[in-house]
Amino acid sequence: MIMCVAVVGHQNNPLYLQSFTEADDALKLHHIVHCSLDVVDERVNNPKKSGPTLNETFLGMLYPTENYKVYGYLTNTKVKFLMVTTDLDVKDADVRSFFRRFHAAYVDAVSNPFHVPGKKITSNAFAERVSGIVKSFGPVTTG
Amino acid sequence: MIGVGKMKQYTNVLDKPLSRGRQEVSLSAFAFLFSELVQYNQTQVDNIAELERRLEDAGYAVGARVLELLCHREKGNRRETRLLGILSFVHSTVWKVLFGKVADSLEKGTEHEDEYMISEKELLVNRFISVPKDMGAFNCGAFVAGIVKGVLDGAGFPAVVTAHFVPVDGQQRPRTTILIKFAEEVLRRESRLG
Repeated sequence: MIMCVAVVGHQNNPLYLQSFTEADDALKLHHIVHCSLDVVDERVNNPKKSGPTLNETFLGMLYPTENYKVYGYLTNTKVKFLMVTTDLDVKDADVRSFFRRFHAAYVDAVSNPFHVPGKKITSNAFAERVSGIVKSFGPVTTG
Repeated sequence: MIGVGKMKQYTNVLDKPLSRGRQEVSLSAFAFLFSELVQYNQTQVDNIAELERRLEDAGYAVGARVLELLCHREKGNRRETRLLGILSFVHSTVWKVLFGKVADSLEKGTEHEDEYMISEKELLVNRFISVPKDMGAFNCGAFVAGIVKGVLDGAGFPAVVTAHFVPVDGQQRPRTTILIKFAEEVLRRESRLG
């Protein structure tokens, strides 16, 4: 179950934040996303030797009330995608394919000539595509 | 894709399935659009420097988006952190996607450490443009310079990019050179990375 996805620009400004569970309030998710930005920055500034593009942050029990994991992905323009999920056993391959599709939707949204880079993404089509991707996220073996 | 083994004969052209089309745009369509872009900007400005700046801004927006798109399309994408890496990326990949071929040459400037040049015998955008004498050194390649600037800025290498005509002996039309001058911090970072 994905709780929320976020796109953060290269100056750590939020470009898009969408939550997919009604119960939680947006503020807590903002806070979670904000904290994980620090981890991303730390990984970027001290890269392991190969310097990969994909950046995964794996936070375990950050909140005492619930378990969740935050995954991150860094594009070539320092734009970060963050995804907060409550699944306990989500596979690496699933997350990667999720981010790949998310990246495709993001590239399409940015290619809009009316989109100002650095401003929030206001495209409805992007929001719908993201919801579609989130809905289809999940372990490949279901029932 | 229709079954490779069987060939269906379509009596009516309307029955044929829509092809995906070649991933190309006709040169004349682009040349027309570009000429309109230049003409539109010409009416809005009083001097050449302003015109070049406007073309460059237009190219900048294109460059930023091209960077995002190419990095997504390239499988096994790696973030370019080295100067030579990003330069060769611009020189081959970006040029190939935009103009269908790689740029003619990539050179390092001799006078300054931070200057690099990408040359092209004939820029695609300049192919149908002849600049009148009274416009001096104006080059519509400012659009392409803007694209390169957009790509470099997005990738984290701030630079000043300009387009120049370089006369070559033996050719009546001068060669076009895109001059890239990187900012201080890029060189410092590059020397730090070793």
